[in-house]
Amino acid sequence: MKMRKYNPVTLATGLLVLVIFLAMLFCFQVRQTEVVVVTTFGRYTRAIAEPGLKFRWPWPIQNLHRFDNRIHNFEKHYEQTTTRDSKTILVDVFLGWKINDPKIFLERFNGDMKRAEEGLEVLLRAAKNSVIGQHPLSDLISPNPQDLKFSQMEQEMLNSIKPAAKESYGVEVVALGIKQLGLPQGVTEKVFERMKAEKDLLVKQYQGEAAGEAIRIRSEADLEKERILAEAEKQARIIRGQADAEAAKYFKTFEQDPEFAVFLLKLNALEQALKDRATLILDTRTTPFDVLNSKQEVGTGKRQGEQP
Amino acid sequence: MSDPLNLDKLPKRPKPADEEGLAPTTFEDASAQALSEALRSSFRIIRLIMIGLVLLFLCSGVFVVQPNEQVILLRLGKPVGVGEGMLFQPGWHWAWPYPIDEKVRIRTGQSQTVTSSTGWYAVTPEMDATNAMPTAYGFLRPESEGYTLTGDGGIVHVKATLKYRVSKPLRYHLDFADVPALLTNVLNEAIFHASARFTADAAVYKDRPGFRDAVMERVNELVEKLDLGIVIETGDVEVLPPADLFDAYVKVNNAEEQRGTELSKARSYRDETVRTAIGQAKAIINSGLVSSNWLISQVVADERAFLDQLPLYRENRELYKQRLLAAAMERVLTNASVKFTLPEQFDELRLQVTREPEKLESKTSR
Repeated sequence: MKMRKYNPVTLATGLLVLVIFLAMLFCFQVRQTEVVVVTTFGRYTRAIAEPGLKFRWPWPIQNLHRFDNRIHNFEKHYEQTTTRDSKTILVDVFLGWKINDPKIFLERFNGDMKRAEEGLEVLLRAAKNSVIGQHPLSDLISPNPQDLKFSQMEQEMLNSIKPAAKESYGVEVVALGIKQLGLPQGVTEKVFERMKAEKDLLVKQYQGEAAGEAIRIRSEADLEKERILAEAEKQARIIRGQADAEAAKYFKTFEQDPEFAVFLLKLNALEQALKDRATLILDTRTTPFDVLNSKQEVGTGKRQGEQP
Repeated sequence: MSDPLNLDKLPKRPKPADEEGLAPTTFEDASAQALSEALRSSFRIIRLIMIGLVLLFLCSGVFVVQPNEQVILLRLGKPVGVGEGMLFQPGWHWAWPYPIDEKVRIRTGQSQTVTSSTGWYAVTPEMDATNAMPTAYGFLRPESEGYTLTGDGGIVHVKATLKYRVSKPLRYHLDFADVPALLTNVLNEAIFHASARFTADAAVYKDRPGFRDAVMERVNELVEKLDLGIVIETGDVEVLPPADLFDAYVKVNNAEEQRGTELSKARSYRDETVRTAIGQAKAIINSGLVSSNWLISQVVADERAFLDQLPLYRENRELYKQRLLAAAMERVLTNASVKFTLPEQFDELRLQVTREPEKLESKTSR
């Protein structure tokens, strides 16, 4: 009996198809960004976070549940809460979370991310109300940074939610922050009224300050001017006094003939006094007009006068 | 006659058996032969198609990494390479087709932008297009109007915009599901964190740079803490008072401007006055110096003149005095502008002592 000869290409193709089919049945990929939970007949078998090609028993023996293993962002709704000093505020908080225990996560939420976030929301609400209820509003907002406990309150919320999220949901909360802080609508109205009143007060304060401060600056300037001029006068007098004292040293010379010295000084003073634009009214007895007077001897006129 | 259609070269129809004198061929054999020929042709075509598909399969693995991006190649889910070698740089590369290899493209060279989403007033597309300001209602609806609370219990609108670049692509993509969303919330947190410690006035106009710095400082702190795999390039922070307080803020600004103007004028007056006083003081001191110098030089000159003339004077005292007097009178009379000589005997001399004529004269002369 003659054996039928198969085409090698056909054989290889068939083999390839078979390998692919078997690989699809028995193998699966785990990506770097995900964790895969394998269940056997619905029971948890193992969780694989290591990326690569893994083995499995085909469906329906084993089933795969894939979860994104990265840090997720979760935002909660804007909710009302009360501070320790009975102030009503609105707070919204965000979370950064990732799957920490895939087994618990699967059992708790059956792999449903939406349900997981709903669970986190419950935990977050409790943590937020608890922490904010222990602090006055001034711990959240204050012009004095030393009084602020904004970051501390965030850390308290994180510390509060972390263990519960891990144990109950298999979730690790890696970050938490207050993303919104507000007031009820009616309170915003009151805040506006207060802010307007403050602004009106500020306008009056500025106007008052402008007038008062300007007057103060001007008067200080006048005072300073007087002080500077007085100081200059003092200095000038000192200089003149020193000059007078210096000049007095030369008077010893004049003592040789005081009459002549005084005569010379007078002549000098006369010339200086009548140097510019003088009007002179003299009679004929005044030198040199006394020459006009024939009855009087030349050089005997003693009077002279001047009228500026 | 020639055969342009080459009909002679066409395969000849097999001749009937009786024509060739051979045994007669059955109709089934011919059909099987035709079928075999057809199948052979089909296989040939299929083989060509398969070769083509294999080539296409292999070529589909070629990919290009653009200059502004980096690629992480997941082979069977696991990144190819180690450390920085996991990142495929710009250029041509080859990978097995999906599902063996999977390419994750990350924009690393290009700046990306996120904007805070909770501190700004509600903006409709029409308002956005016309850059319109919000309307004042006397209150803010918390569910639709964004705002922040300031340290002094005030309300302001704040919007922060951040430009960033991916610096650690592996961390950015492999450890975070949605970095822009997380970064937006980091930005939201930062504007509330900064607002909580600034007064409304400081945030709106008194210390805008300080407020901006506080926001950016907080953003940097959180980005570093979370290690988001990004580097922040620039950040911008806008602050606006609520619409209900626009007028109040304008009045405050005007009053502050007015105060500034008044104070500026007063300071100018002070500077001018002090400068003038200093100038006058210098003039006074200089005047004192000049007069003292003049006095000294005058006295020295007088002393010299006295000593020079004293021997002459002692020779004939009266004559020398008269000579000096006459010479002095000459100089005085020469310089005097108006001179009156009265007769020796007169009953009455009336002088009108007024400076008016002189003033008129001086004006005229000028």
